[in-house]
Amino acid sequence: MIAQVMLSLLLGIVLVYAWAEYRRSPTVAVLSCIVSLMGFYFVWIPSHATGVAELFGIGRGADLVLYLWVCISLIVLLNLHLKLRTQHELLTALARSIALANAIMSTDSMRHPGISRNSLLREAGWPKA
Amino acid sequence: MAQHRDQITAAFLSRALSDCQPMQNESSSSIWVVCPAYNEATTIASVLTGLCQAGYHVVVVDDGSIDHTPQLAAERATAVVSHPINLGQGAALKTGIDFALAQGADILVTFDTDGQHRASDIPRLLDALARNRADFALGSRFLGRSRNMPRMRRVLLHAARLFTTATTGLRLTDTHNGLRALTRRGAAALRLRQNRMAHASEMLAEIARSGLRYVEVPVTIEYTAHSLAKGQHTGDFVMILLDLLARKLYR
Repeated sequence: MIAQVMLSLLLGIVLVYAWAEYRRSPTVAVLSCIVSLMGFYFVWIPSHATGVAELFGIGRGADLVLYLWVCISLIVLLNLHLKLRTQHELLTALARSIALANAIMSTDSMRHPGISRNSLLREAGWPKA
Repeated sequence: MAQHRDQITAAFLSRALSDCQPMQNESSSSIWVVCPAYNEATTIASVLTGLCQAGYHVVVVDDGSIDHTPQLAAERATAVVSHPINLGQGAALKTGIDFALAQGADILVTFDTDGQHRASDIPRLLDALARNRADFALGSRFLGRSRNMPRMRRVLLHAARLFTTATTGLRLTDTHNGLRALTRRGAAALRLRQNRMAHASEMLAEIARSGLRYVEVPVTIEYTAHSLAKGQHTGDFVMILLDLLARKLYR
């Protein structure tokens, strides 16, 4: 009974986490919800867990719950990875703004051959009619 | 959260670009060649010399190089934009495109600095844009020529072509060619978020999403020991798939 309550509390935290994450990553949130609800079901009706476990050739219901917990951990890991990507996007925007604000422009007129550039455009048919 | 993140990103960029005024009035009608570079000290001088002699504006985006790339670029390019840290080729291209658009570029050309591309192919891309009234001219080594391409690279590029056709509907012969020309409208329509190698696939997905016209153009790609060492490896294709999948999962 103590183990069931402890696992239920942890699964409840996962559900809250999934709810909080839904706006940011619906796929991860839905996956977390499904797996944690399955966890609830099997924790409180272990005989069904044993039946399903035998169906999948796992052997014991407790092992099935353990595997579900591993699945939850992997999903949370995936979400952390995705969050890290978001942070990296912000870092990219910051680095880009620094780079653009500090761009070095050449003062050498030879590197700004405007007339020849425009003639290149005209030769290529630009601007389009 | 996603909206907040986008707002922050937009604020960063608008602030930086407002500080980045066009350098001359005449540049309001121009071709800008965007060259991402990371530790390209062995090749960048000859690449930039060829581009500048051909009369193009060249912006080099130094992606946090630790060799002499930025100094060599500053001696030859029209402009050098330096990332304070290494972000990846996709991020460097996006920075260069933003910069060129802020300078009033009418046409942008993306050009690798590892010596694979030829400046003499650029007029062909520009001509294809004008003749086909297209917004994207994409270089193709399979319509043109490639020298010293490893067999494994050829197999992977064909696999990438099938993947692109399946995911975007674009029927291309070469999906990972860094030599392209874009009109201002085409460049502005691209929403690029992939920093690393997945940017090439992302750009094609964005071209498909934009609905703008594209055309493939034969170009020559010359593989050298340097470009092969710096280019994509077999394992990179797995990472590209993971990056693209991650973007699908996360808003």
